[in-house]
Amino acid sequence: MSAPGNGGARGAAFDAVVIGAGANGLVAAARLAKVGLRVLLLERAESLGGQGAVIEFAPGFRAAPLGQDPGWVPPAVVRGLGLESLAADPADAPLSVAIGPGSFLTLSRDAERAAEAIRVHSVSDAAKWPAFTSQVHRLAGFLGELYRTPAPDVGLTSLGDVPALLGLGLKYRALGGEGMIEFLRTLPLSVWELLDDWFESAPLKAAVATGGIQDYRQGPRSGGTGFVLLHHLVGAPVGSMRGRLPWRGGPSAFTEALEQVARRAGVTIRTGAAVARVTVRDDAAEGVILANGEEIATRAVLSTADPTRTLLEWVDPVWLDPEFMHAVGNIRYRGCTAVVMFALDAIPEFPGLASQEALAGLVSLTPSVVALEKAADAAKYGDVSENPHVEITVPTLRSPALADGGRHVLVARVHYAPYRLRDGAAWDPARRDALADRVTEAIEAVSPGFGARVLHRVAMSPQDLEERYGLREGAPTQGELGLDQILFMRPVAGWGRHATPIAGLYLGGVGTHPGPGILGGAGWLAANRLLGDRRGGKGRA
Amino acid sequence: MTPRYDAIVVGGGHNGLVAAAYLARAGRRTLVLERRHVLGGAAVTEEIFPGFKFTVFSYVVSLLRPEIIRDLELPRHGLQILPLESTVTPLDNGDYLAGWADPDETRRELCRHSPRDADAAVVFGRLMHHMAMAVKPILGMVPPDPTSLSPGDLAGLLKLGGHFRSLGPERFHALHKLMTMSSADYLDEWFEFGPLKATKSASGIIGTFLGPRSPGTAYVLLHHYMGELDGAFRAWGFQKGGTGGISESIAGAARAHGVTIRTSAAVERVLVRNGQATGVVLEGGEEIPAKIVVSGLDPRLTFTRLVEPKDLPDSLVEAVRRFKFRGSSGKVNLALAGLPNFTCIPGEGPHLRGAVSISPSVEYLERAYDDAKYGEFSRHPYMDIVIPSMIDPSMAPPGKHVMSVFVQYAPYNLNGGWTDAKREAFGDTVVDTIARYAPNLKSLILHRQVLTPLDMERITGLSEGNIFQGELALQQLFFLRPAPRWAKYRTPIRGYWQCGAGTHPGGGIMGASGRLAAMEILRSTP
Repeated sequence: MSAPGNGGARGAAFDAVVIGAGANGLVAAARLAKVGLRVLLLERAESLGGQGAVIEFAPGFRAAPLGQDPGWVPPAVVRGLGLESLAADPADAPLSVAIGPGSFLTLSRDAERAAEAIRVHSVSDAAKWPAFTSQVHRLAGFLGELYRTPAPDVGLTSLGDVPALLGLGLKYRALGGEGMIEFLRTLPLSVWELLDDWFESAPLKAAVATGGIQDYRQGPRSGGTGFVLLHHLVGAPVGSMRGRLPWRGGPSAFTEALEQVARRAGVTIRTGAAVARVTVRDDAAEGVILANGEEIATRAVLSTADPTRTLLEWVDPVWLDPEFMHAVGNIRYRGCTAVVMFALDAIPEFPGLASQEALAGLVSLTPSVVALEKAADAAKYGDVSENPHVEITVPTLRSPALADGGRHVLVARVHYAPYRLRDGAAWDPARRDALADRVTEAIEAVSPGFGARVLHRVAMSPQDLEERYGLREGAPTQGELGLDQILFMRPVAGWGRHATPIAGLYLGGVGTHPGPGILGGAGWLAANRLLGDRRGGKGRA
Repeated sequence: MTPRYDAIVVGGGHNGLVAAAYLARAGRRTLVLERRHVLGGAAVTEEIFPGFKFTVFSYVVSLLRPEIIRDLELPRHGLQILPLESTVTPLDNGDYLAGWADPDETRRELCRHSPRDADAAVVFGRLMHHMAMAVKPILGMVPPDPTSLSPGDLAGLLKLGGHFRSLGPERFHALHKLMTMSSADYLDEWFEFGPLKATKSASGIIGTFLGPRSPGTAYVLLHHYMGELDGAFRAWGFQKGGTGGISESIAGAARAHGVTIRTSAAVERVLVRNGQATGVVLEGGEEIPAKIVVSGLDPRLTFTRLVEPKDLPDSLVEAVRRFKFRGSSGKVNLALAGLPNFTCIPGEGPHLRGAVSISPSVEYLERAYDDAKYGEFSRHPYMDIVIPSMIDPSMAPPGKHVMSVFVQYAPYNLNGGWTDAKREAFGDTVVDTIARYAPNLKSLILHRQVLTPLDMERITGLSEGNIFQGELALQQLFFLRPAPRWAKYRTPIRGYWQCGAGTHPGGGIMGASGRLAAMEILRSTP
């Protein structure tokens, strides 16, 4: 499809321009179009899906390196866009950890099976496991409640929010005395301390701790990693320690379903359309200018790009006050995740690993929390970990279509590879290859002969991820999940509800509440805000 | 027969003495029992070497609550705080960064390094002042239990909610950031000059087992400003005669109100008869009955040594087990034949009447933390150095001096455990590091006292040598300090109370825990 010609700054051609066709952009666009708005969806890349996009990294080999964890679709989005038919694959996706060559601990989603595996290492840990999993999932469940609604805020809370707040209050009380305390106590806690409170077995702690440092430039000893663990378990099936259920239709199922919904709702979708500016007049957004100079008039702009790009790069600073720009400039991104994709001629052998089912899940190669912490130390000083934390999965076991001719793909996520290197050093190919070599060695160590199976190897540093996905500093979080950058503090204090100081300009990306891993959560809330303002007669509506 | 005492306070630390003084002031017959021969707990002055008096552990004061100073008329009993004039940070390039008593002088000094930071510092100071204002009422309130529906707790929670609303969004958000960020990140938003950020963030790590880049270290920055806020004096001061003088003045006030104080009287355990505290037994068997017993000891001792865990609910025992102490700081006290000569400011000068902070960069502090994380003491530690004899000459013989060096990090659980050899190695590391900035130091040393966290535990009883009776981490504050549901100074044992720094608000020579505990006791026991 192509957009109607530029209607000029006056008669706006569109009621809303949504920037970015990732989960949030697609959801926001569909939501707006469904209520009759004329919506244009602009995507910089040639394909849709944003972070979830499947890329062909080698001839005949495809992967969604950032889409390993499919994420959670809030019920409101499922209902509102009719995504009920979108089925998740209920198959177990265990979390395993390599203890040493030939030895793994595999945590099935089934608490009993997991406890069985743990018993080998610690009887008392095995006994506590079911209680631990139900506890963290209960707390994550409450976090999920917070993620369905606009973030409550001391300043912004208005009478209209009272019902929602009361609802939250009741759900909070429903956690029970212990639960309420544990929730408050766990957020600032380090995942290291959290696990020490419960367990003694090193491999068990090492496995679970990986959830607390995902895309976070901190080690498991740092405060707030308890929250990160909970955040990534929101919407995950009980018992799972890493990630949500994959789509039955493969990694691209969600994007494809959404694209259909959006197109059916009448959304105009343009790919390869990079935005260069958001034009503002009288403190209100009036259009966007594309990289090719094309001007598109609109009454509202909803950007799912990161807040810094949207506000500091696309908007003329004259429209924003310095304090606000200072706050936006202070958002911490801190990409520290690299990915290495391997094209394999056959499924590699992992002696001691329970089953292929484990490879379809997630396998961490880091045997202890101390090793995780040491990997994090380097990043604090802008260095790449000597012994990085590597976690791998073989997506072709569940989605054979990702590789032609029954061959396989192995995706490795690597911590810590800081976007900003000491003394401004660049992520040149040499450095990237060195990292990829270290990853290959780490895998070879637990899978003898792995190297021989590799047909192609493609590594992406945070800088590559930034270029490919438009993620600032290569951070999939678009703003790291520190306790000072969530809820009403996301993206910046006091602007947690998707509006900006510029009327008609909204933020609905992962960088806004509720953040990464909540598919369409931010886009949905942002679209609601936009519609609410139209009804309220605010902005250009 | 009614016991001779209404209340027995276990532990003659400053909080215990404050609690006792307030109880006696309200007419309760009160007895304080201190295990050591000297009062004050971690706030003591001792003549370790003939003629040389040391503020052995805690060495400066800024947070002592003004209402306590007033209520107990502490100046009348010898409280006399002398200002610490300055803070000087020697830089590795031979230069220095100084903060002086005179704000204009400080501004000029800062301009020398970064005009931008000099401007930012003004705004920053104002914000910190407001933040301290925002926190102050919380320091003075008994933490409500968020899980309880009792009128008292709901009222407390509403009061708290109202307080936060009254701050307005801007200050509430600023407070939220301060409570959750790392001091390094927080200061990065304000300043550019590394040594300034390092010296400021150093205050965020004191007494914790966290590095300046660990989230949760920012809010301790406030402490520097809270003192300033209340004080008739400046942020940090030095008690005449050493920190022990503060304890003595509180003890004096307590005695004046009729408190009986016994030293060298170690409590073996608290007597409990069917869920009710009835007194204490001393080591040696002496039994002293009392209507209530108040423990000034840390939560671990209060709940697992003085009483039987079997008398407590499992949830509390578990919470106390989880409560983090992790002593991370050491202390080196030096008797000097003369004054150290810092190469960055040669000779004698006002800088020797203030603090010297060894914190050249945030990375320096963070690496010091990395050593400790893996069970070693820092090879290049953070140090806060004062020379009390420059402020109060009576601390040392004429012409001679005492130097107090607070050192971080020194983990309580050292790899292989602390030995005499390792203690001395630690002392050498400290002296060598200071000597890098003051080369003549070694030649001046007459005596040296090195205290590891283990030594602090042995001498003062503080579990794991944590100077705050438990880390001041977000998950151990307010209604979580020391344990959920038991943050209101009560315990599950009737007539058994807590008043140490292990309760809200805790930390530093504040006395607030002792005062709030006494208030709670007086409110709820006839």
